[in-house]
Amino acid sequence: MANIKIKAKAADGIVKVKALVKHEMSTYNQAEKKTGDRNNALFITHVSATVNGNIVYEVSTSQFLSKNPIFKFNFRGGQKGNTISMTYVDNKGNSKTDTAKIK
Amino acid sequence: MQRRQFISLSALVGLATVVPVSLQAIDFRQTKANAWTAHTVDDAIREMYGNITLIEEGVSLNLPKIASNGASVPLDISSDLSAKSLAVFQNANPESAVIAYTIHENNIIDYSLKIKMQEGLREVTVIVEGRDGKFYSAKKTLVVSPGGCDG
Repeated sequence: MANIKIKAKAADGIVKVKALVKHEMSTYNQAEKKTGDRNNALFITHVSATVNGNIVYEVSTSQFLSKNPIFKFNFRGGQKGNTISMTYVDNKGNSKTDTAKIK
Repeated sequence: MQRRQFISLSALVGLATVVPVSLQAIDFRQTKANAWTAHTVDDAIREMYGNITLIEEGVSLNLPKIASNGASVPLDISSDLSAKSLAVFQNANPESAVIAYTIHENNIIDYSLKIKMQEGLREVTVIVEGRDGKFYSAKKTLVVSPGGCDG
């Protein structure tokens, strides 16, 4: 399965995060064209990130994000050296978690 | 009878203790399942938030006037509002809802994302649900040039 690449940087009390998720993100129409079956669509439905047990990012998504989507976000309350953990779930129930240190 | 009352009461208490946990993590795909299958922007907004009046201010939405690649149209959304959630809709694809953010206290509304859009003259709508119970929005049109994604 795909991986999540996370880059997190703290400056002035704000943590800036960029995360790249390698994922097919195929829509129902694309799946029908390619494989003949609409049900082969594969896309991320929910992404969340936590630091110190607090949710710092949470989003429900649809099939219309581009392939290998990049999630960019900022939040307060994180510090250098903390670990950020990101999880995604896709419409087939696959889930993947990756962690990174905030620099 | 008393025992029965006790059981129903304890079930209620159980529910009440579960609710704060689910507030921590809201999956809009489960709580608002209909919004994700609605075909027009208006229907999707109604399914997501109900009948609401939109205030067109406080939200900044940046996108290219002409998108050369429909497979990845960049959007930048930012706002200083104190908000509960933020949702993005568009009228280019078979379904309208694109993404719904749950905004927690320590979040900053400053998001960038890339979405797929079918070619043509299209419109993107961003709705922010404020903590004051009002709804703020931003709307922008763009042209997606041919040869991009097929939705």
